[in-house]
Amino acid sequence: MSIISKINSKLVGKYKNISLDEDSVSFSEYLENKSINKDIALVDVDFKYANEPVLENIDLNLNKGEVLAIIGPSGTGKTTLLRLLSLFHRVDKGEVKFNGKDVWSLSERERLIIRRKIGMVFQKPNLFNATVHQNVRYGLKIRKNWYERIQSFVFESLNGYEDPKVIEKLEIVGLEDLYKKSSKSLSGGEAQRVAFARALAYEPEFLLLDEPTSDLDPRNTAIIEEAIRKARSEGIGIAIATHDMNQAERVADRVAVLLNGQIVEIGNAEDVFNNPKNEKTEMFINGKLVY
Amino acid sequence: MIFLDLTTIIAQEVVLSSLMAIEGMVTLLIEFFEAFGRIEFPFESNYVLSIIYVSLYVSLIAVFLSTIFSIPVAMIVGFKNFPGKQFVVSAINTGMGFPSVAVGLFVLFLVSSQGPLGMFDLVFTKEAMIMSQFVLASPVITGISLSSVMSIRREIRDAAFAMGGTKLDRALLIIKEARYGIITAIVAGLGRAISEVGSVLIVGGNIASYDGTSITRTLTTAIQLEARQGKFETAMILGVILISIVLFINWIMIRLGHNRISGQWGDGF
Repeated sequence: MSIISKINSKLVGKYKNISLDEDSVSFSEYLENKSINKDIALVDVDFKYANEPVLENIDLNLNKGEVLAIIGPSGTGKTTLLRLLSLFHRVDKGEVKFNGKDVWSLSERERLIIRRKIGMVFQKPNLFNATVHQNVRYGLKIRKNWYERIQSFVFESLNGYEDPKVIEKLEIVGLEDLYKKSSKSLSGGEAQRVAFARALAYEPEFLLLDEPTSDLDPRNTAIIEEAIRKARSEGIGIAIATHDMNQAERVADRVAVLLNGQIVEIGNAEDVFNNPKNEKTEMFINGKLVY
Repeated sequence: MIFLDLTTIIAQEVVLSSLMAIEGMVTLLIEFFEAFGRIEFPFESNYVLSIIYVSLYVSLIAVFLSTIFSIPVAMIVGFKNFPGKQFVVSAINTGMGFPSVAVGLFVLFLVSSQGPLGMFDLVFTKEAMIMSQFVLASPVITGISLSSVMSIRREIRDAAFAMGGTKLDRALLIIKEARYGIITAIVAGLGRAISEVGSVLIVGGNIASYDGTSITRTLTTAIQLEARQGKFETAMILGVILISIVLFINWIMIRLGHNRISGQWGDGF
């Protein structure tokens, strides 16, 4: 057996036939079935940053087709919570579960499959130094195999190409005419809308939004909120971290209140805003809790 | 009245000296072109062509290998934390100023019959010259690439991660984002390699065959030789060729960078 075939067989052996408890379907195939994937959850999670506790005893789940708003003052751990959900960091205690399976007990390859089902939009657009089309297409491109990537690179270098999926997602945020523009020439609002389209382009099953409209004017905010509603109607589970309670009330089905690194209340948006059970929640909603 | 006379005299002097300067420049140009016509290239033009070939062959291969080696090193040093990282960064920065004769001496020791690579019989060969230019160009390419990739904001990597990018995808994205700096690094490395005299003289030996074809003679070592022999016209022509090559490569690299940003070359792999 040649060295190459030995390496190949090792790699293949490493990733195939990862069977679930109940059947022999490989985990990759199992995850490809969109109707099976239901939720992503943090179970009794603690997280420290530079030995300082940031999050404690977090229990939270995000279902497909719902919008969960995570509200709380600045610096309370909302961004960190979203980063744990998108698998940026390993938790110190507890579990991150995808369809009930502890994500951090899986192999890196399996985690990659899960990561590719989760999209994230940051507070800043973080666009690449490229055209709008190239930015939005990035997520689609990296999902292709290397042969296809090289093939399309050569073909597109010679002929040029506009991906219909990219244009379709740009239409959602009303920027389909700007696809040829350089990301550097966009306004702040346009850039954030492109970032949103970029996260939608590869059709994630869960979308995490970290204060996506905090730097935007009312018109751009309205466009993003409309895009959130559209994404929810398509069955995407959305978690939005925000300190804008009006926005949470407008878009969310459920609300989690995060204070001092702990979730003090979680429930239906209407219940949390109108009849908060927790004293601190009530104070925070009424603007009486000062940080 | 006196003022007017003075002004006229000054004006006349200015015009006169300008005319003299122009005349001087024209004379100089005529002499230059006459000298160009009188140049007798040793061993016919095959000599010059083979020198250009050897220079480009050695430098381009050295820089190519150096780029393949340096960019991953810059990425690892830039983004991985490991013990001794500061030392490695200091070593790279120190390497940017390596004296070329010392590098030549080191490579000569490696390839000499008593050295560890002695069995390959590389003394006074192009391969040995490639080795020495590799050693000289690598710290330059690594150092400039390092500062360039480190200037890419962490949020860009985070965005690629959040979209499902693998480590390789993120590394390629960073290279793409840092392309201007990396192109500058490659051009600087090429500049260092192609304009190198000391080390290639030591390990290459500046050899031309009996029919005038260069074996290990490069543009720089040929310039040094021709100037030492008093053939200044040939040396100057070789110098102009050397500068033109560097300018041309610079222009290509800058165009490449420009085209990629404007998206005319597709969006990479």
